[in-house]
Amino acid sequence: MLIEFAIVGVCIIGLFAMLGLVLIMMERKVSARMQLRLGPNRVGPGGMFQTTADTLKLIVKEGMTPDGADKFLFNVAPFIVMIVAMVIMAPLMFAKGLQIWDVNIGILFVAAVSSVSVIGVLMAGWASNNKYSLLGAMRSGAQIVSYELSAGFAILVIVILTGDLKISSIVDGQVNGWWIFKGHLPVWIAFVIFMIAVTAETNRAPFDLAEAESELTAGFHTEYSGMKFALFFLAEYANIFVVCAIGATLFLGGWQPLHFGTGTKFNEIMDYIPSSVWFMGKTFFLIFVIMWFRWTFPRLRIDQLLNLEWKYLLPISMFNILLATLMAIMGWHF
Amino acid sequence: MTASQIIFYMLSAFILGTAILSVTTNKIFRSAIWLLFSLIGIAGLYFWLQVEFIAAVQIVVYVGGIVVLIIFSIFLTQQAGKEMSRPPVLRSVASILAVLFGFALTYFLIYKNDFKAGDRPFDWSVNKIGTQMLETGDNGYVLPFEAVTFLLLAAMVGCIVIAIKTPAPSEPAKGGTIDTQGSASLERRSEIEIAEQ
Amino acid sequence: MFIVKYIKDVLHGVKSLWTGMKITGGYALRHHKEKITQQYPDNKDTLFLPERFRGEVVMPHDEHNEHACTGCTACELACPNATIKIVTRFDIQPDGKKKKAIDKFVYHLELCTFCNLCIEACPTNAIKMAQTFEHSVTDRTELTKILNLPGSKIREGI
Repeated sequence: MLIEFAIVGVCIIGLFAMLGLVLIMMERKVSARMQLRLGPNRVGPGGMFQTTADTLKLIVKEGMTPDGADKFLFNVAPFIVMIVAMVIMAPLMFAKGLQIWDVNIGILFVAAVSSVSVIGVLMAGWASNNKYSLLGAMRSGAQIVSYELSAGFAILVIVILTGDLKISSIVDGQVNGWWIFKGHLPVWIAFVIFMIAVTAETNRAPFDLAEAESELTAGFHTEYSGMKFALFFLAEYANIFVVCAIGATLFLGGWQPLHFGTGTKFNEIMDYIPSSVWFMGKTFFLIFVIMWFRWTFPRLRIDQLLNLEWKYLLPISMFNILLATLMAIMGWHF
Repeated sequence: MTASQIIFYMLSAFILGTAILSVTTNKIFRSAIWLLFSLIGIAGLYFWLQVEFIAAVQIVVYVGGIVVLIIFSIFLTQQAGKEMSRPPVLRSVASILAVLFGFALTYFLIYKNDFKAGDRPFDWSVNKIGTQMLETGDNGYVLPFEAVTFLLLAAMVGCIVIAIKTPAPSEPAKGGTIDTQGSASLERRSEIEIAEQ
Repeated sequence: MFIVKYIKDVLHGVKSLWTGMKITGGYALRHHKEKITQQYPDNKDTLFLPERFRGEVVMPHDEHNEHACTGCTACELACPNATIKIVTRFDIQPDGKKKKAIDKFVYHLELCTFCNLCIEACPTNAIKMAQTFEHSVTDRTELTKILNLPGSKIREGI
């Protein structure tokens, strides 16, 4: 039992470190392509070890604590954000039968625990004793609390159609087709809303008001340096991975391969691709979409941000819930 | 002692310890953070009882909702960063006495009454909770459920009425495009406006 | 009708966002053809600079060591931060008339912001922007340049 815990812990921490390195590299390369640049290309083949070098630099850098800061909370905050990001990974299904904890409220667990990370951000902003940090934290708080609603509604659409909260049964329910194909209109709306809402929840551009460089220097992590800053950075990317994994599980069928019809040759070929490749492929596709958002759209103002949520996303997703319920009752999905 | 018991005592110690810290600390923000840890501990206790749904709801409602609101209101108060002065001795003594009295009452109730574990199987699946909530027959909770929804609706309408901007008499109202969104948006917007000032 | 306008708004928003994403997505796909980064110190031989790149102000001279500058000081007046200083002299023409000509066209590279206003102001196209950009020197005085070559004179007919 204890050994199992230890193995899982090591795996998760290893996955975390890998995710940080890979996703930051991916972000820099994707942004370079979209801006017709080359991106990092000096360290290692094609610049592959640039992020490793950056991490090494952050590790050896001194992590300073400001004099006027609330030192205890200042030092605890990055760990809270990090632990939350790690805990959300527990119910994810990485491949066929590869899951750490198949809790029977799976998706609710993810939604619940992810709401704790805002506390870490608020703590960091407050404890830094810095106006920029505090404003960044307040913005981040308002943003996460509001966008959680429409993300929750988008998740609910799939829960209504599946009739279960358990991740494994949500994935099993898509064996004869992913929800994005089976559920047509309501699921498409839910998918778009989900992608917008999780982009906002992970504090990424175009919703990165919490760390808007031009006005707040770096928002809630202005005062952080060295490894503590690296933890925030890593947690941000881990959160992106988690929300995209959730999106892939809910809408794109988790590890289920792409199937058309039944018993065709095409399906057999698709079955040869391992389930972990399917899952990771879908997740990384969604991560690419989120990065695509970031390098395309300009940053929103705070009132535009709240208008988007409360005037557009929330009413639409409420209406969408009704539509999905009607569809589930009448059996209009495939 | 089994591992389960050890975990229970550890969780309880965590909840009680953070609760005590929450009421004894001199910094109001830290107090909120200790309260947060205490509530997370209670969620952990629910997980220990294997009622995951209640645990998740505990986290959503208390940790993600109420504590965030408390922290927001602390941010908006003046002198939130100052250390508060120690309360007068009399007040401390009175509160300690109140705590002891509460403790004694609980202990007395548990000691006097013989609580037995029920023999019915404990069915707490989410489907069961959902159907129970909207059931009109025996053991149905549809009346309290509806009462609570009315209460919340009334609260939201009240929020809108308080927060609504009365249009200036000179300019005509803009055809109902604004001021009719959810109450929470208005609340939050006014909060943010204050914060930005 | 309010609800129709609302739905149109949403659809228009989605459409315009998709337009933006198509542009960046297209860049990401055509990246290998269009990338604009120059790996500068490595590709000194094949370095490509766009035609309109502004490196420094130069005064072109033809094969007879003649330039087109009349010394009208329009560029000096146009310059927002006094980068150009024109020193004029009067040449005695063969027919005994005096004619204004430039003695020195002084150009302070260290003050220049490469705004191109002097080139636009010039009535005779005597100066232009060159594509040189490796301007670093060890002494500041080397950045003050005299653009007209020694012994040069104004071209006939200008």
